[in-house]
Amino acid sequence: MFDISLYISLSLALAGILLQIFKLNKTSSARHKLKNLKFNIISGLFNTIFQIKLFKASRIRWVVHFLVFAGFIFLLLFHALDELISMKLFSYYEPTVDPYQFLRNFAGFIVAVGCIGFLLKKFYSAKSDQRIKGEYKNLFSIFLILLIICSGFMLESSKIISEPIFMEMVEDYAGIDEDSGLDDLKVFWAKNYNIVFEQPVVSSEELLEEGRILNEDYCLYCHSKISSAFVSNILSDGLKKTGSVLNHFRADRYLYHIHYLLSFLMLISLPFSRLFHIFLIPLASLKQQADVKTFQNRDIVFNSLTLAACTDCRICSDVCSVYPNFVIADNINVLPHYKINAFKKIISGAHLDVEELNRIKISNDECTRCNNCTDICPSNIDLQSLWEKLAYILNQTVPEAACLPDTLQFAKEHDILFSPTSFKNCVQCTICTNVCPVVGYCSNSENDMTPQQIMNLLRLGKKKMAAKTQMVNNCLTCYSCQESCPSEIKVTDILIELRQAGTKC
Amino acid sequence: MKLAYFPGCKINFYLKEYDLSFKSIMKKLSVELVELPFNCCGYPARDNDFEISLFSSIRNLAIAGQYNLDIITPCKCCYGQLQYASLQWKQLGDKTEDKNLKQKFNGLLARENLFWDGNTKIKHLLSFLYNAIGISQIQKRIKNRLPEKRVVTQYGCHALRPFSVTGFDNPHVPQIFEELINITGYKSVEWSKSTECCGNPILKRNRNLSLKILDSKLSAAIEAKADYICTACTHCQIQYSELEFQKECTKHNITPILFTQILDAAL
Repeated sequence: MFDISLYISLSLALAGILLQIFKLNKTSSARHKLKNLKFNIISGLFNTIFQIKLFKASRIRWVVHFLVFAGFIFLLLFHALDELISMKLFSYYEPTVDPYQFLRNFAGFIVAVGCIGFLLKKFYSAKSDQRIKGEYKNLFSIFLILLIICSGFMLESSKIISEPIFMEMVEDYAGIDEDSGLDDLKVFWAKNYNIVFEQPVVSSEELLEEGRILNEDYCLYCHSKISSAFVSNILSDGLKKTGSVLNHFRADRYLYHIHYLLSFLMLISLPFSRLFHIFLIPLASLKQQADVKTFQNRDIVFNSLTLAACTDCRICSDVCSVYPNFVIADNINVLPHYKINAFKKIISGAHLDVEELNRIKISNDECTRCNNCTDICPSNIDLQSLWEKLAYILNQTVPEAACLPDTLQFAKEHDILFSPTSFKNCVQCTICTNVCPVVGYCSNSENDMTPQQIMNLLRLGKKKMAAKTQMVNNCLTCYSCQESCPSEIKVTDILIELRQAGTKC
Repeated sequence: MKLAYFPGCKINFYLKEYDLSFKSIMKKLSVELVELPFNCCGYPARDNDFEISLFSSIRNLAIAGQYNLDIITPCKCCYGQLQYASLQWKQLGDKTEDKNLKQKFNGLLARENLFWDGNTKIKHLLSFLYNAIGISQIQKRIKNRLPEKRVVTQYGCHALRPFSVTGFDNPHVPQIFEELINITGYKSVEWSKSTECCGNPILKRNRNLSLKILDSKLSAAIEAKADYICTACTHCQIQYSELEFQKECTKHNITPILFTQILDAAL
C-alpha cells in the first residue's frame, strides 16, 4: 500500500507541476518565455536557502518561516528519505539512536512551533488589519503540515508504548524467552522505555538488574534513552492509561498509514496549493530584476510563472508608496497584493467587467513605480515589471480614459472652482497667456485655449467646458502664470482643480 | 545636524545615482540623514484628487514630526508639494468643511499613532546648502576644484514657484543655483530657459509636447555653448536623460548632470 500510494502521489505531483508550469508559461508571450529570462545565481541561491529577503522584511516572520523550513527539510531528508540518505551517509544510522532520535523530535518540535506561530500571526492580522478584514485564506497547507507532524509524534509514541512491537523486536534480535529472562527485560523496558504490557510486570531491584544486563547485550546498540525523544516521550506518558487498548488494536499501524498518507497528500497538493512557492521562489529568486535601462528601453520582461511564487504575505502592501490613496479613496486595488490577484485573474482568462478593469487601471496608474514592493518582496518577484506589463495589458483592453468615482465631498465644497472670488478679479490682461510655455510651444490646433481664456470661461460659469479643454490637459503646472498674475489669481491651482474635476465621473 | 531624508518615489529605481551622491555630500558636510518609512509625497495624485495628495503629504510630515526632524529632499516636485500641503493644512480655518477635513485626517493619522503638530519644516537640497550650510562654509571644504566647464542650470518649477508657497529663491531672477555651481570650479553660464519647465509633468499626458519643450531647451543650451545641463530635481534629470529621446536627438551633444554629482566630485 505504501509503495502504490507513493508512486501514485509522486506521479500526480509531477503531472501537476508540469501542468502548472505549462499553463503559466503559456500565458507569457514569446519574448517573456522562461528561456529569455536573465538569471542571477548567487543571490538566488542565498534567498532560496536562507530567505534573506524575508529576513530583511520582517524578522518575526522569518523566524516562524525558518523554523518550519529548516525543520521540515531536515525531516524530509533524514527521516522521510532515510533509506536513501541517512543510511548511506551514516553507517551506524538507526532511527532510535541518538542523535537521530533526538534530532527528529527536535525538528518536529520546531516545525510545530513554527506552524503555530504562523497561525497565531494569521489570526492576529485577520483581526487587526483593516486591509484583510477577517479573511482566513491559505490555511490548508499549514494545517496539513501541522497534521503530518502531529501524526508523526503520535506514531512514535504509540510505538513506544507498544507491546506487540516489543515482542517482534525480541523475536528478531534477542531470541530470548520466559526461561532465558524475557520477563526481566520486560521489567526493565516497562520502567525505562515506557512500554505498556497487558499483564502488568512486577518490578524489583533484582529483576531490573537482570533486565539491564540483557538490555546491554541485545538492545542498547539500537536504542538510546527514551528521554531524548522528548516530545514523543511526554506524549507516551499521556497514552499509558489507554495503552493496552491502543496496543490491542495496533494503533501504531493505523497511525503509520495516516502519517504517510498525509505526507503524500502534501506531495500531491504541492503544485495546486500555496506550497507551489517551494519551486517557484527559487526560480523567481534566480531571475534578475529589471533595472532602469530595461525600463528606458521599454524592454519589459515578465514571466507569469514567477507570479506563482507569491505567497500572499502582503508585505508589499505594507511598504506601498501610494498607501494613502487606499486610505483616502478606499480603493483597495492600489495595494500591490490586490493588483497581483487582479493580474492573476486577467491572465487566467477570467471574465472581468469593464468597471472592474477600469478600477484596476486607475489604481495601476496611481502606482509611482517606486520599486519598494520589488525591493522587499521575499519571493523576489519582479513586481516593478509586472506593473508595467499590467499597464500595457490594461491600455489595450480599456482604451478609453478612465474616470474616478467622485466620492469626496470635501473637494466639492472647498474647491476654488466653486468660489467665484477666486477668479472674479481677472482683468483679462493676458499676462498669464504670454508667460505660458504651453501656449508658446503649441499651435492653435495643439492647444485650444489660453489660461486667460479659461479664466473667462469660469467667469461665464462654463466649468465643465473649461475642464475639457486641451489647455487643462497640457498644463505643465509650472506656476509661471500664477507667479506673474498682477491680480494674484491662483491660475495654476485653478487649472489643476479643473484637471481633477475632469477626471471625475 | 540631523534631518529626515525624503528621497521621493522615483530615486530608488530610476535615479539611484542621485541617491548615492546626495548621501555622499551630506556625509561630507556632516549632516546626519535619517531614513523613515515615508510614502509618496502626493505630487502625482494632485492631478486626480486634492484630498489624496494632501493626506499623502500630511502623513509624511507627521512621520517626520514623530521624530522631531525636519525633512530634506533632493526632488523639487516633492519639495513643492510638501510645502504646498503644509501651507494648505495650516490655512484650514473654522469653516465646517475645513474642520471636517481636519477631523478626518487626524482620525486617519491616529489609527497609526501619528499626529502632525505643524512644526515640521521642509528643506530642498539647494536652499539648504545655501541658507543653512552657507556658501563660504562649503567653499572651505572644496578639495579639488573642477576644471572650468560651462554649465547651464535647470531650476525646476515646483521649488521656484509660487514664491508665496515655496519661499525658495527670487522666482524671476533666482541665483542660488548659479552661486553653488560656481564654487565647485565649474562656470555657470546664462541662458534663456533656466526657469522654464523641463516638460516632465506632461510626459505621460502629451508626450509630443513634452519632448518638444525638451528639444527646444537642449537647443537653447547648445546655443549658450554649455557642456552640461545641471539639475537638482529628480524629475528634471529623468526628463533630460529620456533614453528614447536621446536616440532621436543625437545632434544635441550635451549631458544632463546632477548637482550632487558635481559637488561630490569637488568636495
